[in-house]
Parts: sequence; structure tokens; C-alpha cells
Amino acid sequence: MENFWGRIKNLKPVRNFLLFLAVMGPGVITANVDNDAGGIATYSLAGAHFGYTLLWSLVPITVALIIVQEMCARMAVATGKGLADLIRENYGVKVTFYLMFILFFVNLANVTAEFAGIAASLEIFHVSKFISVPLSAVFVWFLVVKGTYKSVEKIFLSACFFYIAYVISGLLAKPDWPQVFRQMAAPSGNWNLPYTVMLVGLVGTTIAPWMQFYLQSSIVEKGITREEYKHIQLDVVVGCILAPVIAFFIVVACAATLFQAGVHVESAQDAAVALRPLAGPYASWLFAFGLFNASIFAASVLPLSTAYGFCEGMGWEAGVNKRFEEAPQFFSLYAFMIVVGAGVVLIPRFPLFKVMFFSQVGNGILLPFILIFMLRLINDSDLMGAFTNRRALNIITWITVLVIMALTLLMVVLTFLYPFAV
Amino acid sequence: MRLFINFSELLGQDVVDVHNRRVGALQDISMHSNDEVFPRAGSFIVRKGFGRPLYAEIPPGDVQDITDKIELKIDRRTIKFQRQLLPCEFSLCRHILDQQVVDTNDQKVVRVNDVHLLHVDNQLYLAHVDVGLRGLIRRLGWTRFVDGCVRLCAPDSSYLQQDEFISWKNVHVLAAGRTTNVIRSDVARKKLARIPAAELADIMEDLNVFEKLSLFKTFNADMQRRIFADMTPQEKGELADHLTDEEAGSLLENIPADEATDLLHSLSKEKALQLMRYMHSETSKKLRRLLGFAQDSAGGLMTTEYLSVGEEARVKDAVQKLKENADYLGNIFFVYIVDPQNRLVGMTSLRRFINEDPERPLLETCYPKEIFVRTDDGVEEVALLLEKYKFSSIPVLSDDGVLQGVITIDDILEVLISLAWKKYKDQL
Repeated sequence: MENFWGRIKNLKPVRNFLLFLAVMGPGVITANVDNDAGGIATYSLAGAHFGYTLLWSLVPITVALIIVQEMCARMAVATGKGLADLIRENYGVKVTFYLMFILFFVNLANVTAEFAGIAASLEIFHVSKFISVPLSAVFVWFLVVKGTYKSVEKIFLSACFFYIAYVISGLLAKPDWPQVFRQMAAPSGNWNLPYTVMLVGLVGTTIAPWMQFYLQSSIVEKGITREEYKHIQLDVVVGCILAPVIAFFIVVACAATLFQAGVHVESAQDAAVALRPLAGPYASWLFAFGLFNASIFAASVLPLSTAYGFCEGMGWEAGVNKRFEEAPQFFSLYAFMIVVGAGVVLIPRFPLFKVMFFSQVGNGILLPFILIFMLRLINDSDLMGAFTNRRALNIITWITVLVIMALTLLMVVLTFLYPFAV
Repeated sequence: MRLFINFSELLGQDVVDVHNRRVGALQDISMHSNDEVFPRAGSFIVRKGFGRPLYAEIPPGDVQDITDKIELKIDRRTIKFQRQLLPCEFSLCRHILDQQVVDTNDQKVVRVNDVHLLHVDNQLYLAHVDVGLRGLIRRLGWTRFVDGCVRLCAPDSSYLQQDEFISWKNVHVLAAGRTTNVIRSDVARKKLARIPAAELADIMEDLNVFEKLSLFKTFNADMQRRIFADMTPQEKGELADHLTDEEAGSLLENIPADEATDLLHSLSKEKALQLMRYMHSETSKKLRRLLGFAQDSAGGLMTTEYLSVGEEARVKDAVQKLKENADYLGNIFFVYIVDPQNRLVGMTSLRRFINEDPERPLLETCYPKEIFVRTDDGVEEVALLLEKYKFSSIPVLSDDGVLQGVITIDDILEVLISLAWKKYKDQL
């Protein structure tokens, strides 16, 4: 028997698959965290307000996501350093500091949104937010401070699995499949202003600045070697495809029910509640559970990656296995994000909407800078060696980046002009 | 004139000539890394223009004074500007500022926020690196504001007096991955050698693989062995991956066999075999067996001592190589021709080329087809092929055609004889 397994293990495809499983994690996790509370809200609204007509955009978004994330993976493998490290070493402390400073507050707004997502989703199950939010904050703190990279990664990977809740609720919504595919192939949306705002919102929520830092750091932390590069590349691609697939089902679930019935919703938990009479209690529960899973998942990842990035860039000690006296800045930043992020949600009548607005704008302003830094770094042959961008890839990447930049800038402008449309 | 100057205060400042006309802005300072304890400034690198800037190098001898700007003794027309920067041994911006260095005194990795230069006799020396908060705030240009705030709130704060300087003597530069040469301060290196191996392994944990490598290479074999023992398995694998095959091979010889096998296990089979080519055959044979190649598979039988040449080799090159290696090669009859990835391109034997014109390309003397086995082929197959073609050795290839080793007829005999013995004993 042992011999049999030995033989199976030595078959090339099997061996490659096993190697892939060993390396898998960073890419899949990053892409899935991307479907966080804010993301789910955007997808729900896209489905509820525009039916199937925005589904087509998920295809180009996937491509752009793959191109951007693959660059991070490549930089991580080639240099063994995080993105904040690289920016510091190549562009100096000033740029790094202001970049990380803005990123810190943008991410803080995101974390607040995640805790709001936790509160909202559990309220559907009749759990008061004064219980759910503090408990979640404690859970997040312990998960990261007490866990090792390996154990945390396993928990995160299992969290990715629970996104299947959205697939099921999408199927329970009994969408009109021929219609879905017709819309994917030949969209019939009206190019009016709200449609454009939504489209830009979809791009903005899918490609976010923090992802680049998080993905690169987690690949570095996992110690992926150059030889394992093609496996991590696959990991990134799989993640970047999985995430929009989940988004697809969220849009479909909302389009098949809320849009058809003409129900107007303003947020993800509205959508979950409104699903109940239209698609049954299970669809509604699954939708709410998915929101909870996504929110707590992102709430675990964001504070950690932000604190890491900031300390990396500034040259302060960082790491959850250090004591407070060894890494005071790291723990202060980390604790600040969790305490403020969770605390703010508990304040009655807190203008959460304004926080979300700020985080949208902040993301949009940061992203172009980060993408330009990434492009310059990945073309630095001193740094990247054999992993430098090839010419053809460079052209594709520049086009993608320019389009993303144009769209995010458009988003910033639109968010200022029509803050209630997104 | 100040004795100590912060590099951040010079960086980007105007450089003016003898008539007080602007030459450009200070871009960097390149340093001499000689045996002196404190490296001396080699030249001031001045940049002018945007978009496609021009650079000039100005020796310290041409500098009149350093105040809030850099005043030169010469006329700006005599300065030659070029498009490209000349490569230099090491420079403050590229290798020190914002990079990670090892503080050999406190035995930890720190990031350099600023560089403290000693200004005497119109020469600049690298005296300290600043790794503290004050340096960071100075770089950000907030010194006045922050100092004012601190004075207002806590006038006795230690922040106002304390700079966190590390003397250059105690700095070990890691800037690898950017350049291959290691900038060394001998004092720092000697200090490093006195740090206990376990502590060094802790330091290594904070570094990326290239920095680890640069640090690791500064130690002697004994120290390397001890540091290696204290590393995590993941770090070991990483390190082995990035050492050249030769370096990794000699490291493997130095560490205990069980650790070596653990390490080899963590690498891909191809890489492991490749490394073993750089080890003594006895060690590599033992390791290979430990590695769990089935003992009677081609991979388990082969030796890694064979003669290979590049595709462009001529007959005389092969003869020369045979002569050089005649002493230790198990089988000197066969020569294998490989491409740069060590994939087998052709095979030839002494019989086929010994009488040829020395200038003739060796490739032309090859056998019409390559006879080889795969690493997981069984001993019977190897024996059959050797017998069929009447060869005294046969090459072993991996699935992608890379030459891994050769099996000579005596290796096969060894196995066959032991098999025969077994049979004989069973019959008894």
C-alpha cells in the first residue's frame, strides 16, 4: 500500500498538485478577503439595482486582478521582501511614510466597515451588536496573537470555503440562467450615470491597495522559493478567479430576486433581509452568514497587514510572536485598529456612511501611486533579475494599470459628486 | 564648520561652483571601502535636469566648503556630465540609507534612517548610522515641529537628547540582491564571528533570503555549520536554494548526514541530485540511499562522477578534460555533451574520437542516438541496455532530459551479484 502511494505521489501531475497544495494560500486568501463587507455590499447593490446587466464586467475585472496580483507575487519571490520594504529601500522614507500613513487610515475605515458587517449580519440572527462586536474583536486579537502563520493560514483557508454560502444562496434564488448568460455575452444595460458609478464601484472594491501589501508580505512570510514560483502563480490565478465567481453569485442572487421584485435596498444586510420572502429563509440566512464570515475574515487580516506594512516600512520591529516591549509600535498600531474599528461601530448614530465614503476615496487616491511604484519596481532589473517584466507583459500591464487608474480617479470624482449613488 | 553632518541634510541640496552658480543637486555620495575603519567619501554625485537627468562625479578635493549647500572650488564649465552613473563600490543612498543593516553590538537587524558623516580636513567619513526616531523625523522634515511639541509637553524627554547612533565599526551591511559584492567592515565582521551561533540564527530570522546569504557567506565553514544547525527547516531550504550548487554541496558535506538528508528531502529531486554532483562520491552515495531512491532504481545506483562538455567543445577539449580528470573518474571512456541546462545532447566515447582531428567538433563524433535510462528505471532495464549495446556505462536522465549521473557496469555487477547470492542461498 505504501508503495502504491509512493508511486502515485511520484506521478508528475500528482506531484505538481501536491506541491501546489503546499504552496497554496496567499493568493486564494487575499482574493477572498477582497470579497469583504464593502465588496459584498457593492455586489448586492449591483445585482439589486441593475439586475444581470453588470455581470459582464466581472470578466475584465478578473483579468486585471490577475495581472496586478501576479506582479506582487513575482516581486515577493524575486526579492524576498514586502512591498513596503521595497518602496522604502527604493524611494526613500518620505514617500513610504505618507503612503503608509494614508493607507493606515483608509484601512482603519475598512476595518470599521468589517465590524459593521459583523454587527449587521448577526443582527439578522437576533444577536445584539453589543455582544457580537466585542466578542469578534477579542476573537480576532487572539487568533492572530496566539496563532502561528501556519495555523492562521489554515483557518483563513477554511474561511474561504464558507464563501460557498453565496454560491448556494445564488442557486436558491433560482435565477433565469439563459438570461444570465445572455447578459454576460451581450449586456443590455443603459450607459447612464448610476450605471457608470456602479461599474466604477465594482472595479474599485475589487482592486484595493491593501491587497498588494498583504499578498506580497504573506508570500514572503511563507518563504516561497523561486522554484515554487509557478505554483504560487497558480495560487494567485485560482484566487483571482474564485473571488469574482463568488461575486458573480452574489450579483445573481440579488438580481434574480430583489431586482425582479423591484425591491430597493441600501446595504448588504438589507439585501439579506429582503431575500427572505423572495427566496426563502435559507437563502437569507446563508447570505447573512456569508456576510459574517467575510467580515470577520477581513477584520482579522486588515489590521495585521496594515501594522506589518507600516512597521516594515519604518524599520520598526514587527511580528505577533514578539513581546510588547520589543515591538511597541507594531502592537500599538494593531490594537488601535481593532479597538477603534470595533469601538466606533458601537457608538449610536455613528455616521458609518461617511467612513465608507472616506475609505472609497482614500483607496482611489492611493491605488494609482501604488500601481506606479509596483510597475517601476518590477521593471528594475537590478532588483528583479530574471523576474523583470517582459516587454509584451509590460505593455499589457501598463494598459491595465492606466485603465484601473482612470476608473479609480473617475470613482473619486463621482463619489464627491454623487456620494449617495455608490 | 560643523564636525558632524547628517547626510539627509546634504541630500538634494544645491551644489554651487566657485562663482556661486548652481551646478546641480547632490544625488548621492560614493564611498571608498578600504581597510580604514571609517570609509572615506570617494566622490559627490551631482544631478542636473529632470526627466533625463545628467550626472557628474566630483572628488572631495574640489569641494571648498560644506554649509547648507556644497561649495566647489572649480568653475562649473570644467565639470563633465554624463547620462549614466558609473558603477561604484558602494554609495550612501544605494547601500546604506533606508536599507537594513546588522548592528553587531546589539545583535539585531535595524533599518538606517540617516547617516552621520564626520567632516575633517575637508574629507567626509562615514562615522555612524542613525537608526532612531529622531533620524526618521529628520528625514520627514518635521524636526522643528516635533521638537517644539515635545519641548512644550515634556521638556525633559530623553527624545530631545538621544540619537540612536550605531558606530560604523559595528555595522554589517547587507545590501545584497542589489549588488553582489559585500561591503565589509572588518571590525564588524570579527564581531559577528564572536556572536554565538544561536544568536546569529535569530538575527538571520529577520532577514530576507539574499541578506541571509550575504551574511552567511561571511563565515567560515565551521561557523556556517553551527548556524545552519540552529535554523528552521524552512530557512535551511531557502538558503540551500539560493547558494550556488557548489557552495551548497560543500555545506552539505560539512553537516551531519541526517541533517543533510532532511535538507535534500525538502528540495526537488532534480535540485538534490544536482547538489550531489558537487560532493564526494562516498558522501553522495550514502545520502542518496538515505534519500530513499529505491536502492535498485537507476537513481539509487548512479554515481555523479562523469565527464560532460558543452555543445561547442572540440575533440581536443575532450582529450584535455579526460587527462585532467583521469585520476578520479570511475569510467573514462564516455564523454557526455550537454546544453547549458545540463540536458543530454549527445554521447561519445574515447574509441570514437581518440583518432579524430583535434579541431573537429566533438558533437560530430557522437553515437547516432542516445542510450539512456530514467532515474526510476529498474536495475534489470539498466543491465539489459548495458548488455545490449556493450557499453561500460550508461547515462541517467530525469524526466525532462537533464543528465543526473551515470551508472557504470561495476555498479550493476554489485547488485546482480548480491541478487545471485540471495538466490543461491535460497536454493541451499
